[in-house]
Amino acid sequence: MASDIRNLADEEVMQLVQGGNPRAFELLYDRHGGAAFSLAYRMVGNRVTAEDITQEAFLSIWRSRTRYDQARGSVRTWVLGIVHNRAIDALRRGMVHDRRRETLDGVEERHEARERTDVEAARREEARGVRDALDTLPEEQRRTIELAYFGGFSHSQIAEMLEMPIGTVKGRMRLGLEKMRKQLTGVVLPGELA
Amino acid sequence: MTGPDHARFADDAGAYLLGALADDERAAFELHMESCPDCRNQVEQLRPAADALPRSVEQMNPPDRLRASIMDVVRAEGDAAPRPRRERPRLRFSLRPALAGAMLVLGLLVGFGVAQLTGGEDERTITAKVDDARLPTASAELRVEGDGDDGAALTAEGLPDPGPGRVYQAWIARGDKISPAPTFVADRDGSGSVALPEDLSGADAVLVTRERRGGARVPGEMPVMRVDL
Repeated sequence: MASDIRNLADEEVMQLVQGGNPRAFELLYDRHGGAAFSLAYRMVGNRVTAEDITQEAFLSIWRSRTRYDQARGSVRTWVLGIVHNRAIDALRRGMVHDRRRETLDGVEERHEARERTDVEAARREEARGVRDALDTLPEEQRRTIELAYFGGFSHSQIAEMLEMPIGTVKGRMRLGLEKMRKQLTGVVLPGELA
Repeated sequence: MTGPDHARFADDAGAYLLGALADDERAAFELHMESCPDCRNQVEQLRPAADALPRSVEQMNPPDRLRASIMDVVRAEGDAAPRPRRERPRLRFSLRPALAGAMLVLGLLVGFGVAQLTGGEDERTITAKVDDARLPTASAELRVEGDGDDGAALTAEGLPDPGPGRVYQAWIARGDKISPAPTFVADRDGSGSVALPEDLSGADAVLVTRERRGGARVPGEMPVMRVDL
């Protein structure tokens, strides 16, 4: 039975999760827990806080599982969106600023994931493609996007940090995403780029 | 085709998708999008780029204890399906606001029906009744330890932003007396919780209203949620 579940697509697994199936939820975690933890770590720079955020996010997913709507995006996008929101909340509550400074580079805490499956290898390739797309942006656009998305800073905080008008910050975010969107065609895994 | 006041929001799509708008700005932009096809289209065009950002992150292995810890909670909560939204007890109000204060007390006296109880001997979980009209996506439950003398915790999901400068506030009702309890906010995915450390033994209900940041001494509106004890 377990092997049958493992063969299901994410959206099918999610249907079982919505029915309250803990085994299906475990599989959901196995598929996306690594990406969730990695995103949280990238944002807060600390393994302990990243674990807290990932745990909070997955328990929130379990408790609000009926709210997933396939029409609004893939399961992976939904999961990572929830992790991102939790991490931003943590950053803005000031929970992690001090810890983040302690391990700003985070080098000593990084442990690269093992490549165990073809899917993981494909995701690594996808990650490289997205990083390449980010790298094609003008420096000021890339920096603005990274400060907002990964740093959890608001547009007004970024404007203050970079000493530029808020309108300029917003414009760079929009232009940067537009350019990324064009660069990403063919990079992101099938079904993930609308 | 643009909606009213489009110029004010013309460059907000990127900041919105990156989570860089303040809560009140995000709510205002979402309201604007309802009447502005241009902004809706721009958000949908840019969304794949924003959605791809977390995929750029160097992948790491979470510790095994994290998986075990999450699954311990999931299994402990059982495999019961979450409550279908339409089966939630609802609060419905149809009286004019001028009568709200009087009805607040009257509502406490007459009650709104039987709450749903779950949990073991030492803990009760009581489902909140939610005003459908004002919180159409919300649900909440109160976990009460023992007789309530050690307080309780209210957990809510699907909460909308209460508006700029506003928060949710809990209240404890005893007879016709209503005492203020702590305020709380909803995070970006609509989850919110508040601990009620006060001794609840003898209390009739826990109420929730939306108030100014910092909280109020008396309720400023009819409750949006009510938990009968």
